[in-house]
Amino acid sequence: MRIITAVLAIASGLIVLLGYFFPTQLAGVRVLLIDWAIILGGMAVLVGVANLVFVQMEKIRSRHKNGLYGALLIVSLIITFGLGLLFKPDHQYMHAVVNAIIIPVEASLLAILAVTLVYASMRLLRRRADMMSVIFLISAVLLMLALMPTPFGPFPGDQLITFFLGMFSRGGARGLLIGVALGTLLTGLRVLFGVDRPYGGN
Amino acid sequence: MSIELISTVVGLILTLMVFSYLIGDNPLFRFAVYIFIGSASGYAAAVVWHYVLTPKLIEPLTDPSQLLLLIVPLILSITLLAKLSPRLSWVGNFAMAVLVGVGAATAIGGALIGTLIPQAEASMNAFNLGAASNNVDAIYRMIESSVMLAGTVLTLVYFQFGAKHTTGGSTRRNAVIEFLAWLGRIFIAITLGVLFAGVYMAALTAMIERLSSVVNFLKSLLGL
Repeated sequence: MRIITAVLAIASGLIVLLGYFFPTQLAGVRVLLIDWAIILGGMAVLVGVANLVFVQMEKIRSRHKNGLYGALLIVSLIITFGLGLLFKPDHQYMHAVVNAIIIPVEASLLAILAVTLVYASMRLLRRRADMMSVIFLISAVLLMLALMPTPFGPFPGDQLITFFLGMFSRGGARGLLIGVALGTLLTGLRVLFGVDRPYGGN
Repeated sequence: MSIELISTVVGLILTLMVFSYLIGDNPLFRFAVYIFIGSASGYAAAVVWHYVLTPKLIEPLTDPSQLLLLIVPLILSITLLAKLSPRLSWVGNFAMAVLVGVGAATAIGGALIGTLIPQAEASMNAFNLGAASNNVDAIYRMIESSVMLAGTVLTLVYFQFGAKHTTGGSTRRNAVIEFLAWLGRIFIAITLGVLFAGVYMAALTAMIERLSSVVNFLKSLLGL
C-alpha cells in the first residue's frame, strides 16, 4: 500500500515536472494530470467542508460548550450551499449572502486588526526592546508618516524616506522571496524523491 | 423590503458584532464569526461544485469519447470521500498521492519559473546602466542596485544555519557568516517593518470603510 501510494505520487509528479522540459512530447499527459489534480482538489474542498460539518455535529452531540455556535455554523453553511446549488454563485441571492455576511465580516475582521496591531507593537517594545525591534517599528512608523495624508500636508522628507526604505526593503523582500522559493523547491523535491510522504504513506 | 436593504441591515449588525471584540471576546463576536465561517464554506463549496466539478467531471461524463479519460479521476474522487471515515481513511491515500505529486511538481515549476529565475534576472538587470539618462542617474541607479543586491545576499546569509562543532561541544557559526547574518537581520527588520506598515494601512482603510458604511446607513435612516 505504502509503495503504491509513493509510486503514484512520484510518477505523477515526475511526468508533470518533465512536461516543463519536454513541452511538445508530454504536453497532453501533463495537462491531463493537472486536470485530474484540479478535480481531486475540488473534491478535497467538498470533503473538507463535510468534515467541518461532522466536527461541529460531534460538538453538538457531545454537548460541547461551543455546540450552539456549531449549530449556527451548520445552518448558515447548509443555507448558503443549498442556495448555491439551486441557483449559481452569480445569482442575486448569492450576491446578497456575499454582501450581507462575507464582505462585512471580512472587512470588519481586517478593521479590528488595525487596533490589535497597535497593541501588538506596544507589547513588542515592552517585551523585546532590542535594536531589531526598534528598527522594525521605526521603519513602519516612518513609512506610514511618509505615505499617509496628514491635515498639515506632506510629511517633511517623505520622498527621501520612501526612497531609502524602498531601497532597503526591496533587497530584503527579494532575499525572503528567493528563500521561500528555495524552500518550496526543496520541499517539492523531497516529495518527488519519496523522502516526505504527506499523503499517508510513511 | 428589498434584498439590498436586508443585506445592508444584516451587514451592519454583523459589523457591530465583530467590532464588539474590541471590548473583549464575547458571544456576539463568536456568533458573527461562526456565521461567517459557515457561509464562506458553503459559498466555496458551491463555487467548487459549479465551476470545477460540474464542467470538468460531471458534464463530460455524458460524452462517451471522454468517459475513458474520466474514469480514473472519478474513481479517485469517490475514494477521497473515504477520508471522512477514520477506519476507511487509507482508501483516500491513492487520490491524495496523485494530488500531492502533481502539486509538488507544479510548486517546483512555479518556484523556478515564477520566482527564482525572474528575481535573479531582476537583480542582474538592475545593474544595466544603459537606461540611465546621464552620469548622475547612472550613479544613483548603481548605488540603489548595489544596496538591493547586498540586501538580497545578506538576507539569504541570515538563513544559512550551517555551523561547526566547537571544542566545548556546542555549535557555532563562522564569525564572518555571523556578522553578515547580523547585517541581514537589519534588512529583514526594515522589510518586515515596511510590510507591517502596508498591512496596517490596509486594516485602517477597512476600518474607515466599515465605519463610513455604518454612518451612511444611519444618515439615510434618519433622512440626513
